[in-house]
Amino acid sequence: MFLRSIASRLSLWVLAGSVLVLTVAGGLLFYRVSEQILEKAHGEATALANEAGNRIEQRLARVADTAQTLAVVVGTHPDGVDVTLRGALARNADLSGLAVAYVPAADNPPVSPFISRQDDGSLSWRDLRKDDNAYWDKNWFLAGLSCSQGCWQRHFYSQSRKREMINYSVAISTNGRPNGLINADVSLDWLSRMLKELGKPEGAYAFVLDESGAYLAHDNPALVGKHGQANLLQALASHQASRVRLAVAQNPQAQGKPVWVYFVPVEGTHWRFGLAMPESRIYAGVRQAFFQALLLGFISLLALAVVTLAVTRRILTPLGTLASRAEQVARGALTFALPTPRFPDEVGRLTQAFDRMRSELALHIAELTRNAKEQQRLASELDIAHQIQTALLPGEHYLDAHCENFELHALLRPARAVGGDLYSYFMLNERRFCVMVGDVSDKGIPAALFMARTITLAKALAPRARSPQHLLSMLNVELCRNNDSCMFVSLLCGMLDTASGELVMASAGHEPPLLCDADGVRLIELDTGAALGLDDEARYPPRTLRLRPGQTLLLYTDGITEATNTEQQFFGTERLLACMEHSSSRSAADLAAGLLAEVDRFAEGAGQADDITVLALNWHHALVDGSSLMLDLTIHASMDDVFDTLDRCDTSLRERDVSPAVRDDIRLVLEELMVNMVQHGHAGGADRKIELHMRLGDDAVSIELHHDGQPFDPLQAPIPPLTGDLADAEEVGGLGIHLVRAMASELSYSHDEHGNHLQLRFLHPARPEPDHDLQPER
Amino acid sequence: MTFSLNVENESPSRTILHLHGRLDAQTFNDFDLAMLDVLPRLPEESTVVLDLSELEYISSAGLRSIAKIRRTMRARNGHTLLLNPRPQVRKVFDIVKAVPVNEVFANAQELDAYLDRMQRQITGEEPTSDR
Repeated sequence: MFLRSIASRLSLWVLAGSVLVLTVAGGLLFYRVSEQILEKAHGEATALANEAGNRIEQRLARVADTAQTLAVVVGTHPDGVDVTLRGALARNADLSGLAVAYVPAADNPPVSPFISRQDDGSLSWRDLRKDDNAYWDKNWFLAGLSCSQGCWQRHFYSQSRKREMINYSVAISTNGRPNGLINADVSLDWLSRMLKELGKPEGAYAFVLDESGAYLAHDNPALVGKHGQANLLQALASHQASRVRLAVAQNPQAQGKPVWVYFVPVEGTHWRFGLAMPESRIYAGVRQAFFQALLLGFISLLALAVVTLAVTRRILTPLGTLASRAEQVARGALTFALPTPRFPDEVGRLTQAFDRMRSELALHIAELTRNAKEQQRLASELDIAHQIQTALLPGEHYLDAHCENFELHALLRPARAVGGDLYSYFMLNERRFCVMVGDVSDKGIPAALFMARTITLAKALAPRARSPQHLLSMLNVELCRNNDSCMFVSLLCGMLDTASGELVMASAGHEPPLLCDADGVRLIELDTGAALGLDDEARYPPRTLRLRPGQTLLLYTDGITEATNTEQQFFGTERLLACMEHSSSRSAADLAAGLLAEVDRFAEGAGQADDITVLALNWHHALVDGSSLMLDLTIHASMDDVFDTLDRCDTSLRERDVSPAVRDDIRLVLEELMVNMVQHGHAGGADRKIELHMRLGDDAVSIELHHDGQPFDPLQAPIPPLTGDLADAEEVGGLGIHLVRAMASELSYSHDEHGNHLQLRFLHPARPEPDHDLQPER
Repeated sequence: MTFSLNVENESPSRTILHLHGRLDAQTFNDFDLAMLDVLPRLPEESTVVLDLSELEYISSAGLRSIAKIRRTMRARNGHTLLLNPRPQVRKVFDIVKAVPVNEVFANAQELDAYLDRMQRQITGEEPTSDR
């Protein structure tokens, strides 16, 4: 938690970094300084040693001076020696005894006085000549005789005074010949006292070595008389060195720690004065100073860290506030107070920028909210537009309730809420059914409006249209009017004779329809005119075909064929044909739904790019008018067959209780038409056929006549000149056709590659209607 | 036999043709042939009465045969009168306006009255047209 704060981390790192730097720098400094310290300590110790040596020399020199003076005095005035000696002893407290020893000879005084200072300070006198041991044979005396300038003898243990002594001997010369000597005694205790009196640093100790390397005196009395350690003596032997470092000191007082030994020769003797200084003592000061400096450094750094922490915290406090405010912004709250920037530094700029961002954000959110509301409004408008557009379309399923001859299924799915695809169907009159499928250029709202215009115009114009091509032409002229936006619509329009299955189609730039039946699936090629709305003089060639029972006509828009998958491939006509081919069911609903599902599978993941419309029309060829099939004949186009057929019709109608008047009408019409076919319609071919289908409905007899002869439209035949008397003219033609037109309740004609097709209806209202009351609308 | 013809020579100037059955494209030929036998033997200005009471049916072919008779008779200054057509036949005649309405009679009395009247005209004054 503590380390999450930038201030804490910063101060910690500052502290750590400074400590590291301080430690390294301090170490280096210590290393550098310690040598200088050592040098300085050496200098001081050497000076101390020299001073101590000098003081010893001075004391020894006084002893030597006294002895030499005495030697001169005694040499010239042998009398009064005792007084002289006593005087000398009194003047020089260092002396513990003085002796004048003569070589026993005739001309020499017979007494060799020796005056020594007693422990109580009194002086004792003795004649050495009277000692048991003759001194003149002793080494010290012989050596002393040769010392005309004086020399220090080896130390010895005085039996009489019970202490270690050293003596200084000066030969007394008379007439240039040594005849005795002055011997001045000094106790080693004196030397030791002198060492003790030296001003030494704490822990240091001093000693004096004689010429043999043994301790004459030492601060530690236990070592007196013992030889110095080997490396010390080795250093002493080499005269250059004035100091040596002993890793382990001989003196137990040093506690086995390393010591530095500084030594100086004592002039006038062969002795060496040594001052031993413990190494720890040398460094103690600097080490202490160093540790103090380090401690001070650490305290300073700690203070620095605290100051850094405080300053950083103070600087970064607005950042913390900004961070919590940013969290508020993330929750959507935008009204809050921001800290006032104290300085125009980064934090100040950040605060200002944050403030600006907050206000901009509020504006953006407000705008977004407005936009969202606008979007919502548009969406609801689009939703309503979608409902309105859907209302423009007739129902998806149409089953001709009147005759059940066909069934229609249509599916329209716009790519957006509204689209430009359209389909429509309606009955034009009792027999003719108009169906159309179209696709407006472009998509979305413009296309939807144009679609509404098209579908409304089509419905309005259709009752006046004689044929699909006529309807398309009229529609085209209307749509071309004021079409500045150059929108257009491709439209396939068909008019179906619901009794016969005859379908006349005309296309304005639309996809060719499909025809599916037991034989397979095929495209119906038809010549198309220009799309509606582009060229007001466009013509639309018709195409007629007769639907056979079980056939399904499929109309669609390019939303099917141009549906693309994720690999940018089109669904295409091939897949369309294959899909219809493999469809298990031939019902209109299954075909349409199956095709749409197949397209969806194909385009899965790619999304629907264009509006999709499928319209399937299934021709059942069920009973006309809910009627029963009476006759279904195919005969040779010959007179005999025709009249045979007429009889059969007559018989059949009579069996069904059709009134004689209607029977005769039917017979007359059929005779006229069929005789006409036999006589005029063979077109050079001998073996023409006539098909006749007759059905009986509740209120009418429906008859279809098909003849594979040359085209002849009875509806287009001119009305014969009827003067009131047939005898007026030589030969009146067209009477039969005139009768046919007059007799048949309905008559329609078409022609296709199969020949002429005639549909006839004869009303017979006289036929009893058993459930008449139940169906008042009939 | 769907069509039969019975020729009754009531008087030299009046011949009654009884038509039975159906006069259509199949039978008009027989009728025409029979007329070729009958008509030339009729004297000038005679009257042919077509009794249609037994004619069940007539088509345009039959109409043309009747028109032919009428033309022949007119050429010989004779008359062709229609007697008692059944409604169906009458309807066909009406549709094509085959004959003047006053030359179609519903029954023998009307015909007789007409013929008497005509007889008087012939005796009383110069016969004009049949109108």
